[in-house]
Amino acid sequence: MPKKATNEIRCTFLSKSENEALARSIISGFLLPLDPTVDELADIRCAISEAVTNCIVHGYRGTEGMIVLGAKSFDDRSVRITVIDRGCGIEDVAKARTPLFTTCPDEDRCGMGFSIMESFSDKMSVSSAPGKGTRITLTRKLASPLKGNT
Amino acid sequence: MEEALRLSYGEDTLIACLGGEIDHHRAVSVRSRIDEALFEHLPKKLVIDIGRVDFMDSSGLGLIMGRLAKAKEIGATLVLQNPSARVVRMLKMAGLDRMIETTKNH
Repeated sequence: MPKKATNEIRCTFLSKSENEALARSIISGFLLPLDPTVDELADIRCAISEAVTNCIVHGYRGTEGMIVLGAKSFDDRSVRITVIDRGCGIEDVAKARTPLFTTCPDEDRCGMGFSIMESFSDKMSVSSAPGKGTRITLTRKLASPLKGNT
Repeated sequence: MEEALRLSYGEDTLIACLGGEIDHHRAVSVRSRIDEALFEHLPKKLVIDIGRVDFMDSSGLGLIMGRLAKAKEIGATLVLQNPSARVVRMLKMAGLDRMIETTKNH
């Protein structure tokens, strides 16, 4: 039986670094009614923070643009989160996903963003092309809530 | 909101006590303040205490890696104090657990 969507949000915000915290708050607000564990919430908040930071630091480097954060929950307790920018895009996605690879070593960038996103989600996909922006999709299935919780 | 950075210096040790959320936005100002203090005091040891940090992403790892490089520039050692289990996991993912000394004091 195909899973049914239970809730969905779509938020757009400017690629300012102060909005990294905003993105984490938005995704927390979306997830909390689903009763995630402390670790699940922390993992997903961190993954979203990485994705949004990439949009700001890389996608819209030297400029400004809009970031779209979308989230959808399903009746099997999975959530699918997308982070989209219309920035410069990634020339070589496989290279960008290599742990510790960074195009900005002088800016204290450690190149672990994609690794952390992958580690903290069940599935991560990256769709990008030069000049076409980037779309990150993260999927995570939440554990069943403890019995007795409402 | 938790104060992002408290700096103290004594006995050749500069202590940078981080708090709150350390992301790319916060890391920028924290970085410059630590580096200013490093080059002002030229300590033998830099201690970065992250026991009060509620959230850290890879920008925090980058901050730590960058401070390790700066400490080495002036011949100082770096110790990461009170990392949470989550931060230790992230350090291991980045291979930094072998490069950075960690301690607990609470």
